[in-house]
Amino acid sequence: MSAEADFLRIQESVGPWVSGSRIAENRLDIDTTAERLLPAVTAFNKLSWGYLSAITGLDSGIAAPSDGHIEVLYHFCKGPSVATFRVKVPRGDPSVPSIGGPVPSAVLFERELAETMGVRVAGLPDGKRQFLSDDWPENVYPLRKDFTLESAAPTQEDAPAVGSGEAPGTFIIPIGPQHPALKEPGHFELTVDGENVTHASIRLGYVHRGIEKAAEDRLWVHNIYLMERICGICSHIHATAYVLGVESLAGVQVPPRAQAVRTIFCEMERIHSHLLWLGVAAHEAGFDTLFMYSWRDRETIMDLLEGLSGNRVNYSVNLLGGVKYDIDGKAADSVRRGLDFLERRTKNYLRIVTTDESFLRRTRGVGAITFDQASLLGTVGPTARASGVSRDLRAEAPYLAYREFPVRPVLDTRCDLEARFVVRINELFECYRLVREMLDRMPAGELAAPAPRKVPEGEVISRVEAPRGELFYYIRSSGGVKPDRVKVRTPSLCNWAAVLSVVVGHKLADVPMILVGIDPCFSCNDRSITLRRRGSARRAKGADSRRAGSADSLESWSWEDLRAYGISYYARGGT
Amino acid sequence: MSVVLALVALVIFPGGLFVILGSLAYEYVDRKLVARFQNRVGPRWFQPLADLVKLLVKEEIVPVGVNRGLFNGLPLAALAGSLTAALYVPMAGLAPAWGFRGDLVVTVYLLMMMTLCIGLAGANTQDRFSLIGSTRALTQLFSYEAPFLLALLGPAIAAGTWRISEVNAYAREHLWMIVTQPLGFLVALIGLMGKLELPPFDAPEAETEIVSGALTEYSGRGLAFFRLGRDVELLVGLTLISAFYLGGLGNPLHFILKTLALLFVTAGLQSLFARLRIDQTVGLWWRAGAVLALVQLLVLIVLKILGVRL
Repeated sequence: MSAEADFLRIQESVGPWVSGSRIAENRLDIDTTAERLLPAVTAFNKLSWGYLSAITGLDSGIAAPSDGHIEVLYHFCKGPSVATFRVKVPRGDPSVPSIGGPVPSAVLFERELAETMGVRVAGLPDGKRQFLSDDWPENVYPLRKDFTLESAAPTQEDAPAVGSGEAPGTFIIPIGPQHPALKEPGHFELTVDGENVTHASIRLGYVHRGIEKAAEDRLWVHNIYLMERICGICSHIHATAYVLGVESLAGVQVPPRAQAVRTIFCEMERIHSHLLWLGVAAHEAGFDTLFMYSWRDRETIMDLLEGLSGNRVNYSVNLLGGVKYDIDGKAADSVRRGLDFLERRTKNYLRIVTTDESFLRRTRGVGAITFDQASLLGTVGPTARASGVSRDLRAEAPYLAYREFPVRPVLDTRCDLEARFVVRINELFECYRLVREMLDRMPAGELAAPAPRKVPEGEVISRVEAPRGELFYYIRSSGGVKPDRVKVRTPSLCNWAAVLSVVVGHKLADVPMILVGIDPCFSCNDRSITLRRRGSARRAKGADSRRAGSADSLESWSWEDLRAYGISYYARGGT
Repeated sequence: MSVVLALVALVIFPGGLFVILGSLAYEYVDRKLVARFQNRVGPRWFQPLADLVKLLVKEEIVPVGVNRGLFNGLPLAALAGSLTAALYVPMAGLAPAWGFRGDLVVTVYLLMMMTLCIGLAGANTQDRFSLIGSTRALTQLFSYEAPFLLALLGPAIAAGTWRISEVNAYAREHLWMIVTQPLGFLVALIGLMGKLELPPFDAPEAETEIVSGALTEYSGRGLAFFRLGRDVELLVGLTLISAFYLGGLGNPLHFILKTLALLFVTAGLQSLFARLRIDQTVGLWWRAGAVLALVQLLVLIVLKILGVRL
């Protein structure tokens, strides 16, 4: 059934509860009100069309503090099509009902909306903060347009210790924020009965850096570099999702060669990411030999990326309208040689994870996310594909050079941890094939087209397949030199719900592997808050007294401050 | 004069200093081998000693809510247990410094001190990781200890004595018992790895789950003693198994060659496998380890009754 027919069917089913709807290419916008949202979504949900991909909050601005409105956008996606429910609520008392009933995967998104945009979500279970720090002041919402740094001064010096609310008779194992199993900070509380996990909860937000808010204050072109720093592994895909959105808003046609170069970097980044994950996951199972070998081989792909772009992590390939780097014949040959080596090694890894008896004891039948759970809880990427849910935007909604070089999605129906290993490793082979084909049939032509400084007013949804799954960008321009809103929904956020429900009933020893099985990326997750402490203990005493007279009480260090602090730090002997 | 000799045996050779330095050297070999198997560079030769010195000079933090006497005493008891066990085995291929009828049983119990102390040390703190770690350590103790003891009894029964030096002498004059009792050798070697919580039996200190297990709260001196005690136990265990199963230890060259060969095998096993869950460990030992050791023992007893010379 075509997208158009689908949209008509949706319009028909939600008809009684909407005040208007518009169909554009691959987009359906449905206007409704807060009161009618829940019945509309319930009716829509009966169609079993797509999955909830993201919830975006838009603030109309500071012109009128008490009136004005906040618009909440619920994006449902299926293949290339996006159906968006739009709800406008007054800025003075923004409140929407929770759609967690019909759509369980909405809860984490709604919590993010409530904390960062200050929209009260009625029916959302009360809980500790999920994204903002515990000492963040009440009623200050960082993504509102009238947010200022001064209003974000912490309410108390020390946050209450996590896990202090332990009920008698329960035994909670805290994992994180600092824990050897986690390479990035997150916090999990596992209630255990002996070795068995009976309850699991998650706390995110330890690496909030305020990137979404910061994007509103930077030029369109500067934001490429900002977005690239959202993730330390899949940096290129973030920049790509952003430039694809901006280019479509600005109507820039990217030359075919630039598209191919971008795609090659996307796939090489996927190789890097999957190899890295393989090592981390093996380490969680105590299989350090596999960890060391896969990370050794990962150096190959990092060296290749460095050879092409000069950088190992933030490749900085994208421009608005094209790319910076070309791939010439010599570079292509070195990439081919590297891929040959990696392909041999990957065959070996596939053999190990499917035949090694001791490893299979830790993966086979462990952490199974059934097909129904995976689709109901909105999982994306390899996690979904290992449960037989075919969600791969490269195949469903081809972008860049994936139109000319089609991807064959890798699926597995076994649903367990072993399937997640097998899917990712088989995807590596697909990456090798794609990169080779693109290098062989590289389109000739320009590397970049000119892009305007100002981007016309409008909004765009840009979705790409990151190594961990669907990456969602919502970009809105008010016609200026800076974006009005950039919303980022990273794949990890979609996968938590499934993991937390699966962990219960497993042994404590399996938990790290199941957590890592979705390839979680905390720095991607936690991007939306600017956090600065007033006079925190971490500040150097010397710098404190020197700056005591300063009128600026917020902690923001100048280059000179940092330099002076560094010198005094080492002069004191590094204490 | 005999007092001086006894003191030398206790403090310098073969006990005390010699065992400590020797066990550090063996730790180095073990770490280096595992590193090379894992395609890493591995430590330099003095790294275990440097680690020990570093830990000894570091501040020792005693957490709130522990029994201070136990907290400080347990590492010493663990180290003392392993060091004492070293006196009863043919260290460096020479005759044991001390021995009596039935010293084999005493040695096995002395070697168990380490795990008991680690379990108690974990249970002594209020740390969740330590509590889970000590539960796992003690669970593991109950699974490998019986098969390990049975595996060491095999050679003793063959030799008809419970004295380590006599078993050693018997082993030197007969066919290597790894040939006549292969099952027992396998169980003993893997039992030693379980004892030392080496991978894949490192569930009690699985860092990705429970940080450092029972020893999470230990720092400085206490941690140094526990680590040293474990190194000594490795050396003693290797000596014991090579004396029993690899044709006995008659001179230092035998000692070095045979124990290093065993170490090479254990290092390989350490890098070959993924970590076993604690329930898998227990299952493995009681379903496979204990049965194998019992079969070995039964065969020996039957042959002995039939009067077959081994």
